[in-house]
Amino acid sequence: MSDSQQTRSQTETRTTGSDQPLETTSGETVEETKDEWVEYDFQGQAKMAAEDLDVYYGDDHALKHVSMEIPEKSVTALIGPSGCGKSTYLRCLNRMNDRINAARVDGSVRLDGKEIYQDGINLVELRKRVGMVFQSPNPFPKSIRDNISYGPRKHGDIETGLLARLLGRDESEAERELVERSLKQAALWDEVNDRLDDNALGLSGGQQQRLCIARCLSVDPEVILMDEPASALDPIATAKIEDLISDLAEEYTVVIVTHNMQQAARISDQTAVFLTGGKLVEYGDTDQIFEDPRSQRVEDYISGKFG
Amino acid sequence: MTREEYQASLADLRAEVVDMGALVADRLGRALTALETVDEVAARAVAGADDAVDRRYLDLESTCIQLFARQQPVAGDLRFVASSFKIVTDLERIGDLAVNLAQYTLAADRKRFEEVDLSAIGDRSRAMLDDAMDAYRTDDAPLCREIAARDDELDALCQHASERVVRDLIEREVDDGDSWAVEELLDDVSRLLLVIRDLERVGDHAVNIAARTLYMVESDPQLV
Repeated sequence: MSDSQQTRSQTETRTTGSDQPLETTSGETVEETKDEWVEYDFQGQAKMAAEDLDVYYGDDHALKHVSMEIPEKSVTALIGPSGCGKSTYLRCLNRMNDRINAARVDGSVRLDGKEIYQDGINLVELRKRVGMVFQSPNPFPKSIRDNISYGPRKHGDIETGLLARLLGRDESEAERELVERSLKQAALWDEVNDRLDDNALGLSGGQQQRLCIARCLSVDPEVILMDEPASALDPIATAKIEDLISDLAEEYTVVIVTHNMQQAARISDQTAVFLTGGKLVEYGDTDQIFEDPRSQRVEDYISGKFG
Repeated sequence: MTREEYQASLADLRAEVVDMGALVADRLGRALTALETVDEVAARAVAGADDAVDRRYLDLESTCIQLFARQQPVAGDLRFVASSFKIVTDLERIGDLAVNLAQYTLAADRKRFEEVDLSAIGDRSRAMLDDAMDAYRTDDAPLCREIAARDDELDALCQHASERVVRDLIEREVDDGDSWAVEELLDDVSRLLLVIRDLERVGDHAVNIAARTLYMVESDPQLV
C-alpha cells in the first residue's frame, strides 16, 4: 500500500458523515457536512499556522474554524467560489482584517511559532514580514524608483539625512542597489532600467503588478500574500507573474488566492479548497487535489460541476 | 462549450471507446473463428479491414486531445480522459493482432500441431478483452483486479502450448533430404509460435485496459 493510500484510508476512518454535494448555502447544511480532509502532512517546516480561526463581519460568519499550516518556501494556493472565505483567510495572515471595522477575528495565527493576534504586536513590522500584493496593481503615483524606495525609507532601512552622510553612508548608492535588486527579483529590471524616474502609472498593467511585487520585496519580507495577482492581466503578463511566483518560492513563502483553477494547478505546491460557508474542505498536495481529491464536493467544484 | 455539453462529450467519449472495443472484439472473434475453421474468406475479410479500427483510433485520440486542450479536465474527469486516451491505443494494437491471426490462417497449414488448442487460448484472451471493456463501461474496479489475476493463467497456457510445439518439433522425424519440407515445417512452427505469442499479447492489452480503468475509477495505479 502506498503512502497516499494509507493516508487516505486513515482519513476515511477518522471522518464520518456524508460526502454529499452542497445543495444549499444555508449555514445548517454546511455545518452538518463533515467531509473534510484538511489534515495535511507536508514535508518541511510550517512558516505560518492558523488554528481554529473564525472571522465574523458583523453577523456574517465568514470563516469557520479554519486550522491550516503554511509550509515555508513554497507556493500555497487558496481556491474556492466567491464568498468562500479564502481572501478573508489570506487577510488574517497579516491582520489586514483589522482595518475592517465590522470584522472580528477569533482563534490563533502564528508566524514562526509566535502569535500575531496578541496585544503589543507591531503591525507595521508584521506587514513588513508578511507583505501583500493585491488584485489590481496599485503603484503609488510616483516614479518607479520612488515606488521601490518608499517602503524601506519609511522603515528606516535606507539611512536618510545628515547622520547618514556624516557616517559616510552613500544614501543614493544604497537606494540604487535596493531598487535594482528589487526590480530584478520581480523580473522587471530589464524593461524599466532606462526610465526609473518615469511615473509608475505609465507602465502596462503587467509591469505595474510586477512593480507592486518589487515594492513588496523591497522591505525584505518573509511571506508574500497575493490576492488574485494576475486576474486583471493578459495571458503573457500572467505567464510572467506565474514564472515570478515560482522563482520567489525559492526564498519566500508565497500564499496566493486565485479564481483560476488552472493557475493554482500550474504554480502551487499545495492547494487549499474553501467552499461556500467559509469552511476549509480539503488541503493537500496540488498534484493530489487535481488528480484525486478526497472530497466529492471538491471534485465537483474543481471539475466545474457546481459552484 | 457549456458545462452540459462538456459532460455530454465525456459521456460520448466513453460510449465511443466502448464501441471501438466492440469493433475490435468482433474482429478478434472473427479472426479466431477463421483460424479454427480454416476459413480463408473470413480471414481475408479481417486482414483487409484494419483501416476502420485505425480510423476510430485516430478519431478518439483527437477527441481526447481536444478535451485536454479546451476543457483542461481535472480529478475524475482527468483520470477518465487520460485513461481513455491510453485504452484506445491498446484497442488499436489488439486490432493489429487480429490481423496477424487472420494472416496466419491464410498462410499456415493448420493440420500440423492439431493437438495445440488455439481456440481455448483465443477464447480466454477474447473473454479478458470483453471483461476489460465491461469494467471500463461500468467503472467496475473489482473486475479490473480479477482480469489482472486471470492473465497469469493465460500466460501459463501459452507457455505450455509453445513448449508443446517446440517439443513436437524436436521429436518429429523429418526427411533431411527434403529441404522444401523442412522449410515448410519451420515456417509453420514459427508462425504457430507467433500466434500463441499474439494471443498472449491480447491478454496483456486487456490487462492494460483493466489497469487504466482501475486508475480511472479508484485513482489506484497498482496495475499500471
